[in-house]
Amino acid sequence: MNLSRWGSGILDRGVGPLFLVPALLLLVVLLVGPFLYMVGVSFTDLSFALPGHDGNFVGFENYRRLMREDPVFWQSFGTTLVFVSGVVSVEFGLGFALALLLFHHVQRRRFVLTLLLIPMMLAPVAVGLMWKLMLHGEFGMLTHYLRELGLLGPQTALLGNHDLVLPTVMLVDVWEWTPFVTLVFLAGLLSLPREPFEAAVMDGARPWQVFRDITVPLLRPIIALVLLLRGIDAFKEFDKVFILTGGGPGTATELISIYAWRVNFRNWDLGYGAVCAFMVYLVVLILCAVSYKAIYWTEGRAVK
Amino acid sequence: MAVAFRNVTKVFPDGTVALDGFELTFETGEFVVLLGPSGSGKTTACRILAGLEPATSGRIEVGGRDITDLPPRERGMSMVFQNYALYAHKSVYDNIAYPLRVRGVPKQEIDGRVRDTARLLQIDELMGRRPGQLSGGQAQRVAVARALVWQPDICLMDEPLSNLDAILRLQTRTELKRLHAELKTTFVFVTHDQEEAMTLGTRIAVLKDGSLVQFDTPREIYHRPASRFVAEFIGRPAMNVIDGAIAGGRFRADGLELALPGRADQAVGLGIRPEHILLHGRPKEGAQAFRLDVKELVEPDMLLFVRRGALALVVRTKADLAGLDALEPGAEVHLELPGERLHLFDAASGLRQP
Amino acid sequence: MVALATLVVVLVIALTPYLWLLMTSFKTRLDALADAPVWLFTPTLEHYPMVFLDKGYLPMVGNSLIVAGVSTALSLAIGVPAAYVFARHDFAGKEDLFFFFLTTRMAPPISVVVPMFLFFGYVGLIDTRTSVILAHSTFNLSLVVWMMRGFFADIPREIDEAAQMDGHTRAGMFLRVLLPLAAPGMAATAVLCFILSWNEFLYALILVAFESRTLTVGIPGLVTPHGTLWGQVAAVAVVATLPIIVFTFLVQRHLVRGLTFGAVKG
Repeated sequence: MNLSRWGSGILDRGVGPLFLVPALLLLVVLLVGPFLYMVGVSFTDLSFALPGHDGNFVGFENYRRLMREDPVFWQSFGTTLVFVSGVVSVEFGLGFALALLLFHHVQRRRFVLTLLLIPMMLAPVAVGLMWKLMLHGEFGMLTHYLRELGLLGPQTALLGNHDLVLPTVMLVDVWEWTPFVTLVFLAGLLSLPREPFEAAVMDGARPWQVFRDITVPLLRPIIALVLLLRGIDAFKEFDKVFILTGGGPGTATELISIYAWRVNFRNWDLGYGAVCAFMVYLVVLILCAVSYKAIYWTEGRAVK
Repeated sequence: MAVAFRNVTKVFPDGTVALDGFELTFETGEFVVLLGPSGSGKTTACRILAGLEPATSGRIEVGGRDITDLPPRERGMSMVFQNYALYAHKSVYDNIAYPLRVRGVPKQEIDGRVRDTARLLQIDELMGRRPGQLSGGQAQRVAVARALVWQPDICLMDEPLSNLDAILRLQTRTELKRLHAELKTTFVFVTHDQEEAMTLGTRIAVLKDGSLVQFDTPREIYHRPASRFVAEFIGRPAMNVIDGAIAGGRFRADGLELALPGRADQAVGLGIRPEHILLHGRPKEGAQAFRLDVKELVEPDMLLFVRRGALALVVRTKADLAGLDALEPGAEVHLELPGERLHLFDAASGLRQP
Repeated sequence: MVALATLVVVLVIALTPYLWLLMTSFKTRLDALADAPVWLFTPTLEHYPMVFLDKGYLPMVGNSLIVAGVSTALSLAIGVPAAYVFARHDFAGKEDLFFFFLTTRMAPPISVVVPMFLFFGYVGLIDTRTSVILAHSTFNLSLVVWMMRGFFADIPREIDEAAQMDGHTRAGMFLRVLLPLAAPGMAATAVLCFILSWNEFLYALILVAFESRTLTVGIPGLVTPHGTLWGQVAAVAVVATLPIIVFTFLVQRHLVRGLTFGAVKG
């Protein structure tokens, strides 16, 4: 085998599998390896804050602590579930309704859609700051008008009130992500075939019957996709809430990501923090596996 | 120089056997047509020859040299794809010039060759356009130009006409024939259309189930089909084949008896093309009486669908034949099956009997 | 009419907060902190030079540009060839491997950044732009693979074959024919990667603290319990968001595909 022949062989045969190597290398070195290392750390008492806790093996101690002795973790888990279910259902309803509105009644959709996209494309940090400014207890623009309308007491601040703060950050999330739901549903609606709708109309169906019997069943894959993508994303929420409230007041808005952040990077309790991070990952992995199956099972029927 | 498929077999990962011990040898300069129904392996054979698909086993030889493992670019072949596969981001000119550039043809030479080829295909007006701005026929010409511009030894064409409308298809067919006569390039042309094959090919390779069943000139294929499959695949309407048996020098089938002196006893299919059956208005020695079922006018011919008991035949005759207009369905017609036009196929193997 | 009115209300709700931020960045301190919201005011440009020049936020813009630019380039360079393999080649376990790429995108940042923090600490890359670039490349890589697989799949296979018949090696075919054809999709993917990296907060927050801070990490530093200078906060936030809005308009057509992992084509 001479050299030029071998060279041209690489140019031909190398194009298959060799192309995958750099990508896999990056993921293994930066994700898989560190992740396994973290799992290892989760069995130690590693802490940057406590003297003598320099990574001694403690077995399942951290896991036991999470299950038995840490009500705050479970409280933040509960807060996260409330947050996720609340924002996803409201965003779903509003976003779907808005998509239908745009689909049926608006001609120059692209223009409207472009404006609608702005909230979700902004850096979440900026979104947090914007709303912090709007909701400021003394000079917030929204606070002012809510007080004028008598909807808010003169001393109450939405972000400072233990009962109102969670619904408030949820509304900010709704503001940010409803356009995403609209965008996806509109794309779905636009790609549906026209014939079933025309047939239903010829069969005498009223608009709401067409919606119930044709639109919703045809959009089922999209519905599953939206619910799961938004569910996973909401579960991961960190930036906005971190800026808006830092998890407070108290632990009223301490979502699970924020709690895991606090354990790792405020308390520097890395051994235990590894367990927390691992648990968050597990939940998302499960959601992710379910969504992947849902999307690709229905792929044949799905709007592509 | 000979191009040869030597015992080529192709099994796809899903288990489909596309080619099964395929053998074919032809000479450069020919216009070879690979003809067969869908699934017969004709496209696979073409792609293996091109080097786009590896053979599972067997060899491809050109001029005695084994090229089975050569990548496509080293085979000296070009290809016209069914959907043309033009580069959407390049102009017509650049599409045609592309193989020359890739092959390192000197710059000053490229322009002349691109323009000559474009003129040959009458697309010199379109040079600045993008593929998206071309009609189907124009895109097809550009694809052909791209395949011929670098003067490959062999130009492969995979159903290149099937995306054209009927009139354009006929024009392009004639065009390709003219190109072949002028350029003397070897053409290998894949089609499922027997009429295309008959008009274009210097020789036609008929494929069935991944094997070659006949490789001959169009004339031979028409007049001496090697098997019942070829006989029925070539010619429209298809050849009448009557199942029966020869015994004691006579062919007997349900509703028909014919003298076939000197023939050994065996079960056979007796074939005769619709256009070879002679039609008589009144009873005649050696003619058989049939009842007319349906008449179809295919100017300048007339198709007659006739019956006799369970036996149904198609007859093709001139439409202006005297007395034909007066024939109504149900009328009696008399058919003569001339001995020299008859084909005999073995009932079991389907092979032509000499 | 009802539809139009609803739409106007929706747009007002969607856009007012950003408009307010924009206005605040041009308000004097007095106007910004007024008891009743001030809608009409004499604009001032004082906050922008103040925060970017005097308070040293300009280098953070540079950091953000470098991090977003390099991580986008890196994830494209690595991800586009991988996407091609996923689009054109078949091998055992392909879809499982593909699913693995998805999970890296879906993984919660907090569970990725903790191990990365440990790892980068171990190799001494904490508080460098390199660490953030690498971190952002991991989530952008999967986005590239997902989006570009779709764009490659949209190119007919015959184009590959025509390129080979025209005399290319497979590598030449990929570089000279397929990449130019996939260029529009690649541009859209690149812009989306850039946006995601530019907007990213948590990785950057954990991995860098001082010189290498990106803009998103820098902004909260201006928010203090006492006497936050909202005009300056707004000015930084505007600079951090305005380019993204422009980019969004550019890639709007491909956004749906990018944000739904190719499950829905826009």
